[in-house]
Amino acid sequence: MSSPLAALLWAAGRVQRHRLAALARESRLKIAFVSLSALLLWLGAFALCRGGLELATSLGGSLGEAGGAALADLLMARLLSVFALALFSMLIVSNVLVAYATFYRAEEMRLVVQSPAAPAAVFLGRFYDCVFMSSWALAFLGSPLLLAYGLERGAPPSFYLALVIFYLPFVVIPAAIGALLAMVLVRVLARLSRGRALAVGAVVLVLLGSGLRATVEPPDLSDAATIRALVAAMAHTESSLLPSFWLARGLLAAAAGELGQAGFYALVLVANALLAVWLAAVAAERWLYPGYAVVAEGGGRSRRRRSFAWLDAALRPLPQPGRALVLKDVKLFWRDAAQWSQFLLFFGILVLYVANLGDAGAAYRREPWRSWIAALNVAACLLVLATLTTRFVYPLISLEGRRFWILGLAPVRRRWVAWQKLFTSAALCSLFTVALALLSAWRLELEPSLAAFSVASVLLATAALSGLAVGLGSLYPNFEEESPSRIVSGMGGTLNFILSLVYVLLVVAAVALAVHAPTLLDAGLVPPWIVPAAAAWVVLLSALATWLPMHLGARHLERLEL
Amino acid sequence: MIRTAGLTKRFGDKVALHGLDLWIGRGELFCFLGPNGAGKTTTIKLLTGLLRPTAGRALVGGHDVVRQPIEAKRLLGYVPDRPFLYDKLTGGEFMRFVAGLYRLPEAGLAQRCRELLERYEIGHATDQLIESYSHGMRQKLSFAACFLHHPQVVVVDEPWVGLDPRSIRAVKDDLKERTRNGLTVFMSTHTLAIAEEMADRIGIIHRGRLLHVGTVPEIKALASHPGSLEDVFLELTRDDEPAVEPAA
Repeated sequence: MSSPLAALLWAAGRVQRHRLAALARESRLKIAFVSLSALLLWLGAFALCRGGLELATSLGGSLGEAGGAALADLLMARLLSVFALALFSMLIVSNVLVAYATFYRAEEMRLVVQSPAAPAAVFLGRFYDCVFMSSWALAFLGSPLLLAYGLERGAPPSFYLALVIFYLPFVVIPAAIGALLAMVLVRVLARLSRGRALAVGAVVLVLLGSGLRATVEPPDLSDAATIRALVAAMAHTESSLLPSFWLARGLLAAAAGELGQAGFYALVLVANALLAVWLAAVAAERWLYPGYAVVAEGGGRSRRRRSFAWLDAALRPLPQPGRALVLKDVKLFWRDAAQWSQFLLFFGILVLYVANLGDAGAAYRREPWRSWIAALNVAACLLVLATLTTRFVYPLISLEGRRFWILGLAPVRRRWVAWQKLFTSAALCSLFTVALALLSAWRLELEPSLAAFSVASVLLATAALSGLAVGLGSLYPNFEEESPSRIVSGMGGTLNFILSLVYVLLVVAAVALAVHAPTLLDAGLVPPWIVPAAAAWVVLLSALATWLPMHLGARHLERLEL
Repeated sequence: MIRTAGLTKRFGDKVALHGLDLWIGRGELFCFLGPNGAGKTTTIKLLTGLLRPTAGRALVGGHDVVRQPIEAKRLLGYVPDRPFLYDKLTGGEFMRFVAGLYRLPEAGLAQRCRELLERYEIGHATDQLIESYSHGMRQKLSFAACFLHHPQVVVVDEPWVGLDPRSIRAVKDDLKERTRNGLTVFMSTHTLAIAEEMADRIGIIHRGRLLHVGTVPEIKALASHPGSLEDVFLELTRDDEPAVEPAA
């Protein structure tokens, strides 16, 4: 091996090879199911994007022939711009988290840090992992929209080639920025107390939220100038200094067959990607090891640890060992900053969205928008919950890991450990999901019956999605892996996410039917018992989604050899 | 207190443990010796219920570890060779967690936790997160937690790794004292000098088969030439074939 960087990359390559080999050893049925489900999911997303872009074109066309065509082009361009900016922002956030896990929490860093390898080499040797971990989902979820866009615009083959060429530099830039931010945050936040760190986070979130509201004036969808207002609002996403702008412009040029301009933007992206990586490597040379030392010594100071005496007192009615298990899980979660910060981030974004609903014009409070938004809110809430349960609840059993001997040896039925994890996660998640559902119902001024239906659906779905995650987590535990994100990225985690999405779709369909029931009943399109039938469907489906995976998972856990 | 009858464990076509028959009485300190891959850890995992036997049975205090696992586990304590604990709990919290798992009454619990942590010389670290503990401190915490519920049988897997000489002495004295009070100890170790010093009886396992069981003098008498336990062990476990033999 000619250099430490080469050795790091070689070892990383071997690890990936062994991971692939392990994947191939998984059950064929599971591989087939997951692959087929992923394909169906991709095709569904593609069909949705295609339909959406056709609608966008027709909206532009509806405003008059001459100006309509130009507006349709503009609308499509702006949609692409919004999409690129959203992706870019999400990639930065996810890269901060991935970089923190990769550079500060990974087990192998202990070995690497005490080697004579230069910090910049260590950074570059592990940076590829950040790029891959944070961006594979982008390739999967972004490709339907971009392919649909190409087809809708009748783009030449060079557009599809441009997609491949633009992808790597576009994901490398946020990965480098995310790594840089992670290094800065570790240096700054690790020295703050948890309370101060939370306060800083809250202030940043509020400033971002208010900044966004001041910049983007939401259009009122009730008047004829809707599309023009929408296009104008989306102009705020375009800035020639942003990589998302270079991506959008480059792809637009490629779609129009203007290869010179597409090449220019591709080179701008590549140059900036290289600059970003170089800057991050320079920062790593200075900050990576000092930051690692701060994290390793627990923030560089002696913290007064929260005793959770109040929780202990509140849980007193719970019999042992349930109380001990719940307390242990809550403490472990609270003390792992990487875990709770991601959890709060998910819900923080959703709270900002729901809290802003009331500002989006009076039209949202009139039918049919109101019913659609109520149903879409439940969908958004459950989709976030499906992501959360996959990310946080599914790995719970696996995270017992090499400590499972403690529970395995205790005079406790292992099936009860699984059920305890279900109750704990469902109870904690429902605090957030029910609050969100109530907030949404209040902002949309829903009738009490519809609000109750939405809240009850969210509550049942919280139990069901937690049951699915704990059940499948018990059925496919991975006791060798310490990183939750790696546990989730296995076949079991993927299966859990896909089944969760299927469940959410089935529940949201019932909710949409129920909230539209008054209109549909007036039109004589549905029988009068449609609302009770929808409610029964949600209850039965949720009961099945909770019980079946839990039953199978708990049984498997009971028989598991360690 | 520990009895195994025809205890067998196969992993696929490999036999890791071959029909182990063993009886260990109350208050006895039994040392289980064998080369790497001989079947010691498999035996321990079978005794503690972490693995299920392919054939035969294991009883702890008269309770079958497969059919009556809860009853057997109430009597059992375990100290693993590698103390994987919950890093984000403090030592004191870990003790309370274990107490909860064993449904120990609240009355006097704090006092007992304190005494055990002091006894194993980690009382000063009660409020520190386990992630800040050294390997030896984690091992001591495992011992303290193991004795929290007054087990009648303790299974110890190579407990000396990471302990300083003073702690090794303290743990040895502690185990001897407890066996005098009726505790049964099943200890797997590679440290033959300690086995020779502490064991009431020794069992030697090789390639999944129990070769010999006896007191230290009885085992030593098996050697072709008089020598230390180490000489006898090396002679008995001379390895000319693979450590794990294929199933018949």
